[in-house]
Amino acid sequence: MKTKYYLLFLIFPLLISCSNDDYQNVPIDFKVPSNFPDLAYDFTNNPPTEKGFELGKKLFYDGRLASDGIVSCGFCHIQENAFTHHGHTVSHGVNNAAGTRNSPPIQNMAFQTAYMWDGATTHLDLQPIIPFTSPIEMNGNFSNAIAMMKNDAQYKKLFKQAFDGGEINSENMLKALGQFMALLVSSNSKFDKYRRNESGGTMTADELDGYAIFNQKCASCHATDLFTDNSFRNNGLAINPQVNDIGRFRVTQLESDKYKFKVPSLRNIEKTAPYMHDGRFYTLEAVLDHYSSGDVNTQNLDESLNNNGTLGIPLTQTEKAKIIAFLKTLTDNEFLTNPKFAEY
Amino acid sequence: MKFKLKNIAIAMVATLALNSCSSDDEKITGEGDITLEFDNVFGSSNLILDTQTNTTSQGENLKISEVKYIVSNIVLTKEDGTTYTYPKSQSYFIVDETDEASQMIDLTNIPAGNYTKVKFGIGVDQEQFNLGAAGQGDFLTTAQNEGMMWSWSAGYKFVKFEGMFTSSTVTTDTEFMVHTGQTGTDYNYAEITLTLPEKAMIRTNITPDVHIFADVAKIIDGTNKVKLTDNNMGGMGAMIMGGTNLPLITANLQGMFTVNHVHND
Repeated sequence: MKTKYYLLFLIFPLLISCSNDDYQNVPIDFKVPSNFPDLAYDFTNNPPTEKGFELGKKLFYDGRLASDGIVSCGFCHIQENAFTHHGHTVSHGVNNAAGTRNSPPIQNMAFQTAYMWDGATTHLDLQPIIPFTSPIEMNGNFSNAIAMMKNDAQYKKLFKQAFDGGEINSENMLKALGQFMALLVSSNSKFDKYRRNESGGTMTADELDGYAIFNQKCASCHATDLFTDNSFRNNGLAINPQVNDIGRFRVTQLESDKYKFKVPSLRNIEKTAPYMHDGRFYTLEAVLDHYSSGDVNTQNLDESLNNNGTLGIPLTQTEKAKIIAFLKTLTDNEFLTNPKFAEY
Repeated sequence: MKFKLKNIAIAMVATLALNSCSSDDEKITGEGDITLEFDNVFGSSNLILDTQTNTTSQGENLKISEVKYIVSNIVLTKEDGTTYTYPKSQSYFIVDETDEASQMIDLTNIPAGNYTKVKFGIGVDQEQFNLGAAGQGDFLTTAQNEGMMWSWSAGYKFVKFEGMFTSSTVTTDTEFMVHTGQTGTDYNYAEITLTLPEKAMIRTNITPDVHIFADVAKIIDGTNKVKLTDNNMGGMGAMIMGGTNLPLITANLQGMFTVNHVHND
């Protein structure tokens, strides 16, 4: 059975390459998983196609877009870690420049309303401008990237196949990246199967207990089956004086936004260590210890974490262990190993 | 079928005949071009970069080194009130004080007629932003090359106004940078409508030139007064790139542009 499919995969590209370099409008049908909230991304402006997705993936993994020819998007966003930079508190870009924030996962982006830890941008298509042009990330330049692609036979062909008119420009480049990112959907964890009553969705007693505790103590912020309410909050991390990251204040310059960061999704959280906007916690245990006993009453600490002067969330060791057992049911191996999203 | 065609043809001839009877002596047909000329000034002086000291009503002395802004979404209104919207995908321009060609915005293939108003945006409209990459064409590339990409928020700088300043309390030359664009609280796009002092008569053989004065003083010294001195953070320079000042500056843009005259030749 497997070999048969494998053969098909070998033959199929041959068949396609026999055809031509024309625009190939083979739409990809985007299905919203039944346990997910509503889509935020408007697919009518950028309808995904097979070739658009393929081009987006090629761009995502191409280090030649960066000024040093090495640091691609995929450099800091590794699939097996839900597209985070595993093991890096903060990531380093071109010329070994270090940033101040932990690279967030790329998954279920089409359901989110703001991107970056501080919500600096609100449109998925345009988001890549930030890492692409940032001097400490890819330090890229659109003119240079476009010139490079116009001299590359594969890009010339893919742009033609992906877009009507086939122009190699910043619009089509960002549309392709948008298609690739929008289609990175993680929705087949054990938890999803449990929620949709599918086979493989049997949770253990500890996992179910953990889910109940989570719903009681964590779900007001980590809401819906995507585990974020898309809001910005200060969760009481001690301020690192060396960085003094002011969070969303950078975007709004409102005092009320100082030290607030986006509530992250918890999907594949087992695989996305280290945690928090600056990657300060290396384990899930350290994260829960922070909530039970490490909260600091800094400016704009979230109300839910200050109960008449008692900070944080009361959690026993058993409760923590059960929450972690539950969080591990959010690991979606199908997503983490899907060859469609892989570099090679 | 033949009869139908014949009928339509007759009807068309009749309509044309009626039309020409009702119109003025001059029958205006075809398409023509128009040029919008953005001439940057400071108060009642021509803008001279770097060397000229310009004084605001707040007693601040500015030596301006850079002025750039995005002009977009141009709509022309005819004397009968009908409007012509320039194709959106071709309607984004960057005016740069150091590049004379950029100050002459040539619009082509516009229905001939007598135009009395021009409307344009400063910045990139939110409708376009919400479309994401769709419809941006090469403008992102252009904006990056012109230093008008607001990289940190994945958007555009709408207005860029930079130089050095002094005031009664800031006595040594100190840098200032004013950038507007979308922030987390405000979109900061401005829409400007100007009435032309004389009609712009677009004809197949006449390309009117609408000479617009853009008084850059108004950016900080308009209806709203934004003092650079008050924004001089620890003496490191006045960096106005966000917060409550941007909506004030955006409102000031309404008073920045005036049409000095129109050439019809």
